[in-house]
Amino acid sequence: MAMAAARRALLTHLRVPVARPAAAAAAGTVPVAARRLLSSTTEETKGSFLDKGEVADRVVSVVKNFQKVEPAKVTPTAHFQKDLGLDSLDTVEVVMAFEEEFGFEIPDNEAEKIDSIKSAVDFIASHPQAK
Amino acid sequence: MASRPKLSGIQKQVLTLYRGFLRTARLKDPEERRRIESVVSAEFRDNARNVDRRNFVYIEYLLRRGKRQLEQLKNPDITGLATLEVKK
Repeated sequence: MAMAAARRALLTHLRVPVARPAAAAAAGTVPVAARRLLSSTTEETKGSFLDKGEVADRVVSVVKNFQKVEPAKVTPTAHFQKDLGLDSLDTVEVVMAFEEEFGFEIPDNEAEKIDSIKSAVDFIASHPQAK
Repeated sequence: MASRPKLSGIQKQVLTLYRGFLRTARLKDPEERRRIESVVSAEFRDNARNVDRRNFVYIEYLLRRGKRQLEQLKNPDITGLATLEVKK
């Protein structure tokens, strides 16, 4: 009882200041992290996904520039190994070239799944960090 | 190889190692990067052609050696790598 009373007395007087980063305080009342969360559904972030047609064009041109590929064979549906005659080491190189073209890193487990122009386009177009 | 869509665990390890080398090469000077890429690529292709795919013991040895070399290459003080051709 005495403990509870002491605790209540203490809690009524205890005030914890709300820490807020200087940047957030300057920008407004909503903290940065929360604003980023809120804006994930707004136009601003949607705009960071690249247009699929543009991604397809750039993917095709990266593959056409790959030295072991015959440019004429590169179509939007081409499979790296079956249609373009690339082996698994070549495929690693091509995926690395996509990383450089689009300015973001593709994790190993995702990179393993990219085996055709189409799968590359689908992955890159659904990736918000692709530039 | 093209007829086998699914890669085995050891093949994935080889490809991951290859990717690791290419990623690390990006961090070096452009000229050194090209050198590293050509040496590494030649080494992997040579082994892919010449090592029996069932020779797991040897492939695992190559993987271990490759990982060790990659760790060394990641050191920013290391700017390049060289190979020594020993006559067979």
